[in-house]
Formats: sequence, structure tokens, C-alpha cells
Amino acid sequence: MTTLVSKLRQSTAAAVLAVTAASFAGDAFAKDLTITVWAGGSNDSDVYRLDAIEMAADMLTREYAINGEELNITVEKKRDFADWAAFKQAVTLAAEAGDAPNIVVTSHLDIAPWSQAGLIVPVEDYVDMDAWPLNNIYENLIEITSYNGVVYGLPQDAESRPFFFWKDTMKKLGYSDAEIDALPAKVESGEYTLANVLEDAKKAVDMELVEEGYGFYPRVSNGPDYAQFYQSFGGEMLDKETGKLLLDKQAMTDFYQFFVDAVEAKVTRKNHIGTEWDQWYAEVASGKAAMWHGGTWHYARYTGKEGLDDFFGNIQFTLIPAGNENGRANTITHPLAYLLTAQDNEDDVEIAAQLIKIASEPRINTLHAIKSAHLGIAKEQSNIELYANDRWAAEATERLLGQANAQPNHTGYGQFSQIMFKGLETAWTGTRTPAEAVAEVEAEMKATLGDEVIVR
Amino acid sequence: MRRAHLLGLGFLSPALAIILMLFLIPVLLTVMFSFTNMSTATGISGGAYEINAASLRKLSDAGAQESFVETLGKEAFVVDDAGITAAAAAYGEQFANEVGSQMLGERFDSRRDLERAFRKLKSRPRSTRDIKKAADLFKRSVLNVRFETAGGLLDAVTGNGIEMTPDQQELLTKTIYTGWTWTSDNFALMAQIPYVWRVAGNTLMYVVLTLAASVGLGLFLAITTFYLPSGTATTFRAIWFFPRILPNVIFVLMWKWLAWDTGFLSSLLGNFGVPPRNWMLDTGANAWVFIVLINGIVGASLGMILFGSAIKSIPQSMLHASEVDGASRWQQIRYIILPQLRWPIMFICAYSTLSLLTSFEYILLSTDGGPGGATEVWSLMAFHTALDNYAGNLQYGLGAAMALMLVIVGILASLVYLRIFNFNDLVAKPRIEQ
Repeated sequence: MTTLVSKLRQSTAAAVLAVTAASFAGDAFAKDLTITVWAGGSNDSDVYRLDAIEMAADMLTREYAINGEELNITVEKKRDFADWAAFKQAVTLAAEAGDAPNIVVTSHLDIAPWSQAGLIVPVEDYVDMDAWPLNNIYENLIEITSYNGVVYGLPQDAESRPFFFWKDTMKKLGYSDAEIDALPAKVESGEYTLANVLEDAKKAVDMELVEEGYGFYPRVSNGPDYAQFYQSFGGEMLDKETGKLLLDKQAMTDFYQFFVDAVEAKVTRKNHIGTEWDQWYAEVASGKAAMWHGGTWHYARYTGKEGLDDFFGNIQFTLIPAGNENGRANTITHPLAYLLTAQDNEDDVEIAAQLIKIASEPRINTLHAIKSAHLGIAKEQSNIELYANDRWAAEATERLLGQANAQPNHTGYGQFSQIMFKGLETAWTGTRTPAEAVAEVEAEMKATLGDEVIVR
Repeated sequence: MRRAHLLGLGFLSPALAIILMLFLIPVLLTVMFSFTNMSTATGISGGAYEINAASLRKLSDAGAQESFVETLGKEAFVVDDAGITAAAAAYGEQFANEVGSQMLGERFDSRRDLERAFRKLKSRPRSTRDIKKAADLFKRSVLNVRFETAGGLLDAVTGNGIEMTPDQQELLTKTIYTGWTWTSDNFALMAQIPYVWRVAGNTLMYVVLTLAASVGLGLFLAITTFYLPSGTATTFRAIWFFPRILPNVIFVLMWKWLAWDTGFLSSLLGNFGVPPRNWMLDTGANAWVFIVLINGIVGASLGMILFGSAIKSIPQSMLHASEVDGASRWQQIRYIILPQLRWPIMFICAYSTLSLLTSFEYILLSTDGGPGGATEVWSLMAFHTALDNYAGNLQYGLGAAMALMLVIVGILASLVYLRIFNFNDLVAKPRIEQ
């Protein structure tokens, strides 16, 4: 009996020991982690901004498993923000409350203020920029996601903002097929300018090819697009030498005047700003407007939700034409970037860094690029069939990306852009003349940006 | 204190807590924020000290000597004995020996170059992060390093052999601080921005017009429904009450459906050859008409209820007597009803002024201040400045200063109203009890 009891005791003790040891060993190797990713400005076709992180998590888990470590990553995804402003508000306030998502997908413009505030950490502190796939990303895109010479984010996509023509209307205006095909080159060389845009748009309205206000049908809200027209008239946003923002009064006045002229010629509506986006998309994708401007990602919307079957047969796209001899044909690229937020636990930041690194794999990024009609971030993408065989990606990359520049990473740029747009709106709606509007812009920029803006 | 007093306090405590949480603390925070230059870039919870291209630019703008700025801005990684000793402790003798034998005395302009050199070594650490940390052991500059305290920064700068005068130290720590600082500039700034003045004018117009519309409509409804049979009157009142109980977003969306260029008005007028247009945003005047109507109709329901009950409390005998004297409806309104509605009208005016000053949700949802800022009012401007910027750098400090102006105007207006109301008279004990 005693032997039995003692045996029982021994075996129980052994079992307990074994279980404890096993569970401790398990603790040592298994790491459970939740990585939150928030993406701004993303609709259904942009799901790979978030899904790429999930795919990367799967890959990273496998890499860890090979090294004998168990890593379980749960990716929490969120992209249902009302608009960009709501997204940025959510991220900054969550971060101030110590509750920031691990990864954010946002405009490169946020890098300047967010890095100063310490909300984000440099990605170059965690990943090897010389290793695959980061060494394959276009240098100029990496530059756009850097600030003060430090790489803060990884480019998530690239895009650019072209000028569009509805071919049928152009033909009725007297352009031959060959002339329409030659438009991109004519725009690039400065032969076809915004003055021609006004002229053709007015003709289209006068000939009743389009309704009043639909000759030139611009973007309906503030965005990087309007800085393009400032550049068309010779404006520059940043003084390269001093690193300060630049207000070119002449260019700004000419740029405002162009929109005022468009309204006076009845080719653009006076009350255009504030038109609903859904209405706008439906109208431009159905040929209700003669000319307009948008983004490369519009391709997905026109051919998808709006049901435009033959994009290339109906629409011609070019750079934004030059405004006058001071300016140039141009387009702005506004890449989104994967940014890492500062976290209490540095290990989490490192895992997040590895995830965005893997998500930048050309094959994974191509899924996003093609699904959402954005442009690729890495050179090798042109060797991936899905990308190379997509006519839009190939042509848009070739025609636009080479000429594209980005808005400056500068803590004051948000205000600069806001004030510039406010000035445009007051001139456009006739509340102020262009000259008065620019005077107000100058006063407000000087007051709010102080030394950080140069007025020329 | 007597127990009854404690009990009274106890009963009051929920109200006191609400006042504290929802009024006093927000106002105090607004006051605090408004005397700072707080923005997204400075953060709310405090800053750090970082020397980088942007802060060096500020430093030279602030008058620092160019040579000083240049020295601070130099990036340098030097393989020296101190670094090798540190590397030995952190990553083993073998690695340190390899570094020492192959790279001693070498200088690198960036960490990336040093990392590349390390990667050629056989005994290097095998994780990217460790290589970076090992490289940082050789960093001999303060560029792009974030220091939590000024002391830490100054120690690091002097540790790298850069001498500073006390003046330079002060200028450096003051200029490159990334966080917010106390300032009263926001108020001067507001006065300098022409747009702000225009918005002030808009706000005055908004309050006056909307007040007139809501009080006028409220009075009209109260008086007309008073003369209707009670069943019909109740139905009308209920209908006019809808806008107030309807969610704001839906209420405004219905107005938008009415006014869009593909909406009801345009379709209707299209039959008469009027080209479609966005009636709400067509011109500043159009936008104002809609803003005043939207807000006025919501405001009218409150006036209707208050004026309606006040009319009901007028002794019926007075109205009967006037009818015996042959008074018309208009005379009844002019000489009996309106004089007795003086207090409710003044109350609604006072209350609505204060609530209109701070309310912007209907404007935000309908015109968002457009077209061209024509309908931007003060509280909306404060919201746009502090919490809504496409490119991201939110101006909390300036926005709070704008909000504070509203608090001040609101308090002043209340004082004026209390004076006009003659509040002491209102709360005086009835003479009959004296």
C-alpha cells in the first residue's frame, strides 16, 4: 500500500513538473502579438494596403518557425474613416493617448509633423535598407518618405495626377485621332497649355457638346491637385536652398486667375467646390465633362464602379498642361507610406518594421498597384507579369511618373496648402479678386508661418 | 454643517460633477491651450530635443553663428577605442577585435556606411537591429538623436567635443525643443489674419439672421397654433417639432437633396427651363439663405413650444374681455399677447445667441463654410483650425485661442443679457408674500 501511495506521489510530482516545464518552455518560445494597422483614404479597391500586412505576417511567422521561434501575429485592420481629416485626427489623438496603431498607412506629408511630435519612429532604425526588397524601391520614392535625411517610412504606393480629355468631345471639336494621340507629347513640350484648355472648353460649351460648367471639371475638394496648377504657372512650393516654403505671388495670382477665367467663360461652375464626389465620378466617367483632372487611381473607379468599358477608347490622359511661359507641364505624386508609430515595447516596433518590409515585396505590392490602379514602388515590378501586362500601369508609369514631383515634407506645409486652397476658393467663388485673394494669402502665410515661408 | 446641508450637497453632486467635467475643465483646458503654440508637430504631451536639418535651420534663423550650426550638423561615425570597448561588452570580444583590427580610426559619414562595413565582418551580430545598435556605439555626433531632456542633449554635445557658451546653450535648447511652449502670440496672430475678420463678420450675420428667423418663425407658429382648434394645433406643432428630433445629419441631407443640382429644386425648375445648379452653394447669398433656414427652422420649434405655453398662461378672461370690446385678432396679438411674451422672447434671444455662437454642426454638414468661406463662422473656423487639416498639421493652440474668444464673448453677452433681463427682478419674491 505504502509503495503504491509513494509511487502515485512520485508520478504525480513528475507529471506536475513536466507540465510546468512544458508550459514554461512554451512561454519562452511562443510570442503572441497583435499588430494594428490603420489606413487612411482607402476604399474597397485599396484593401491590399491592409491585407499585405496580413500576408507579411504569415511569411514572418514561417521565418520565425524555421528559427525555432513560435510567433503568432494577429493583424487588426481598420480603414473605415470618414475622410483624411478624420483619419489623421484619429491617429494623432490615439497616439497622444498612448494608444497608437502599430502601423499607419498615410500621406508622406504627415512625416514632418508626426516625426517632430515623436509619434513615429524612423523605419531605417529597424530594417536593412540595403537588403531585398527595400533596395529595389525607387530612390526618389524613398526620398519622399524621408525627412531631415532620415528614412521614416516605406513607400506604399505611387500615383500621379493626370489631366483627362474625353476623346469624343475632342473629336467633335475638330481634333483628329492622330492629333489626340499627339496631345500628351504636345502638353509635355508646352505646346498645348492651359490657355488652350480654356479655349477648347469654351468651344465645347458654345457648341453645346457639354453643358455650361462642364467644359473643364476640376477636383471638388482640397488636395495636392491644386498645387499642380500653381506649378503650371511657375510656382514652387519649397526653396531648395534654404528648405523653406515658398510663396510665389505672381504664380499664385496667375493660378487663381485661371480658375476665375474658367468661371467667367462658363466652362467651370462657380459653385463647383463642394460637389459630391459620387456625382463627380459618374459625370466624368460618362463624358459629361470635356476635360478634367484626377488621379491615376481613378482608372479603377471609372472602369469599375462607374462601368466605363473602354477607357483607352474614350479618354486621353496627359500631364497637367503648363499655364504660361513661367511654368511647366507637371504632375504631383502623392505616395502613401507605411509608418511605424512609437510604442512602449520596442520589440513590437521591430516586428511591425519587418512586416512592412515584407509587405513591400514587389509581388505583394503589385496586387495593390493593379487592384487599385496605383503605380508600383519597385523596379522589379515591371518584371512581374501582372504589372507588366496591365496597360494602365505601364502607360501611366511611362507617361507621368518620370515628370512627377512631390509636395515638400515640411511641418508648415499643411497650413501652406490649406491657406493656398482657401485663397483659391475665395477667388473662384468671386468673394475676392485674385489679387485680393493673394494679398490675404500672403498676410495669413506670413502671420502663421513666419520665418518658414519666403514670399517672392 | 448640518446634515440637511450635506444631503443637499449630495443631491447636487451629480450636477456639480457635470458642470466640472463638461464645462469647467474644458474651459480651463481651452484657456491653457490657447496660450501655447501646440500643434500636431509639437504634440500635446510634451517634447524632446532633436538636432536635425529642420531645427538647425531654425537655429540659424534665431541668430546662431554659422560655424556653430555647421559643427552641430555634422554626422560622424568614428571607429575609436571607446566604441570598440563598448562593442566588446555588448557584442563580444571577437566582433570587437575584428572591428579593431580592420577598421580602427576610420570615419563614416552615415550609419548606413558603417553598417555596410560591419556586414563584411565574419563575427558581426546576425540581426539587423543589433548591427544598427552596434553602429550607434560609434556615433560621435548628435544629429538626428532624440533627447528627452535638455541636460541629456547638452551632455551629448559637449561629450562630442563641441564647446558652447552659456548663451549658445540657452539658444540651442530653446530653439530645437520639439514640444510646445507658452505664448500669447495666438491672439495677435488672429488680428493679423484678414480671413479671421471676415469670419467675425460672418458670425455676427449668422447670429442675427438666424435669431431673427427662429424667433420670428417661433412666434408666428405659437400665435397661429394658439388660434387653431386644439387637435389641429397639436398636429402642426408636432410637425414643426420634427426638425429638432431628427438626427442632424439626416435633416441636413434632406436639405441637400432639395438643393443639389440633381436635386428636387433643380428638377422642378428644370421644367421651366431653369438650368440645374447647386442651389445651396451657388453663391454666398444662396448659402446664407439655406444656413439661416436650416438653423432657423430647428430653432423655431423651441420658440414655438416656449411661446405657446406662455400664451396659454395668459388669463383667458383678458382675451374674452377684449373680444367683448370688439378687438380684432391683430389687436389681441399686438396689445395682449406680445406684451406678455416679453420675458420668453428675451429668454429665447439670450439662450439662442449663446447656442448659435457655439453651434456649427448644421453649417459643417451643409456648406462646410463654403462657397469660398462665405459661410464660415467662428466656431467652425476654430474646428477647422484645431481639428481639420487635409495635410495634417493641426493647430491646437490657435484653434483653442479662437474658441476662447467665443467663451469670452459668450460670457460678456450673458452679462449683458442678465442686465437687460434685470435678473434680480425676475427672481424677486412675489410681492404678495412680503
